[in-house]
Amino acid sequence: MFETLNQPVDVLTVFLEGRVRPLRFRWKGRVIRVKKVTGEWSRREGSHRLAYFSVESQGAESYELCYDPRGPNWTLCKAWST
Amino acid sequence: MILLVDMDAFFASVEQLHHPHLRGHPVVVCGDPGRRGVVTAASYEARPFGVRAGMSLQEARRLCPQAQYVEGNPEKYVALSLRLLDLYLEFTPDVEPFSVDEAFLSVTGVGSTLEGAAKIARDIQTQIDQRVGLGATIGIGPNKLIAKMASSVEKPRGLTAMTPESFREWFWPRDVSEMWGVGPKLAERLKPLGIATVGDLARAKASDLEGAFGVIGPQLREAASGHDLSPLIPYHQGIDPKSMGHEVTLSSDSEDAEYLRGVLLRLSDQVARRMRSEGFRGRTVAIKLRDHKFVTHIRQATLREFTDDHRLIFERAHELFTRLWKGGAVRLVGVSVSHLERRSESFQSELFVHHAREGQLRDAVDQVRDRLGEASLIPAGAMAGRARRSHVPFGAISSRSLIPRSGRRGASSP
Repeated sequence: MFETLNQPVDVLTVFLEGRVRPLRFRWKGRVIRVKKVTGEWSRREGSHRLAYFSVESQGAESYELCYDPRGPNWTLCKAWST
Repeated sequence: MILLVDMDAFFASVEQLHHPHLRGHPVVVCGDPGRRGVVTAASYEARPFGVRAGMSLQEARRLCPQAQYVEGNPEKYVALSLRLLDLYLEFTPDVEPFSVDEAFLSVTGVGSTLEGAAKIARDIQTQIDQRVGLGATIGIGPNKLIAKMASSVEKPRGLTAMTPESFREWFWPRDVSEMWGVGPKLAERLKPLGIATVGDLARAKASDLEGAFGVIGPQLREAASGHDLSPLIPYHQGIDPKSMGHEVTLSSDSEDAEYLRGVLLRLSDQVARRMRSEGFRGRTVAIKLRDHKFVTHIRQATLREFTDDHRLIFERAHELFTRLWKGGAVRLVGVSVSHLERRSESFQSELFVHHAREGQLRDAVDQVRDRLGEASLIPAGAMAGRARRSHVPFGAISSRSLIPRSGRRGASSP
């Protein structure tokens, strides 16, 4: 099931042609490489727009990340746990 | 010809698209899976177990305990819906979004024949599959009604084209509840008139139907014959909403009058805020209460003048609540406002000084919320029993935005 975390995480990020992409992030002492961004959406919070990503890791795990341009910072919103 | 593109099990399919490990497994989209509530959508893998939208989560878990229960996220579905809209616009400029997962398309030229429209429909299905990774069912007909009903014939990834003749051949022998716009309750009311099938409805006397159902009666009869003159309204022309509302399933049944009053106030505030942000005012306030036995009660009343002020909406909602509620346990509360008009049309009422001052206050509150988010200012009266509402429901503000920014870094949970 999905575990709701909302934990701040460090994410290696690429900014390309006005778009943000997570490449890998550190969580629970390990580096998780993003194999594929499987979904993107956004949500307005006040005057800012937060960018959300669902990602699949190279280990076929599933996560949801949020990029907040106000920090800027990243939050690990959800992780799939078996 | 008109096409109705209906995304198959849209919410559940989006979750399966975003999370590959969910593919091929029963998925149930709901509110917070850790709390009670209802099923928002079920994947095709969950449906053979009897899981359906609108069913309580408790019942769904009994029928399909092995399903993955996933919290729905409206922003996700809207984002994909907008991508789909762009895709449809590559085929025709005449697209009417009907809901987040359905759209009517009008195709001309090659698409003016059933065969030509079917070819376009197949192209659309292929493009949706290849570019978005989702399945769609498409119904085709000479009008919106036939296209919509044709889309129900074969799912998922179905493609059904119907003429008025084939519409009658297929639907007339079928139960009247298969008619678009006829739900189980209306179907029950048609039975005493000897109307059990769509064909019975088409052959019924217009005067009998008008006597029983008013103006809608003869309209139903026309629809049962496959007649529909409603125009397709392209999205860029816009359609004003008829009502705006919010509702919430409580985390546990409540008989606490103060708590329920706070919920009504919060919902009234959310509705008023949405009306203001979209430039509307309304006159008719309705409340919805669902009791612990799942029986739903709705009451409505009309205000003397149009408003977008949460206090006026709440006052009327609370009056309705006081008259309706007899002290039993409440499961769900909803507030909606209908009879809407564009704000500019009702500018006259702002000529009154006290209205102008209240308007200034509302504008100031809106400015703060625009800048800092919806949870930055909440009516004090809505804070009663706030802990019980720590989970903010589907379609409302997120619980994440309730956390002060200073408290987010390092926090292990919301």
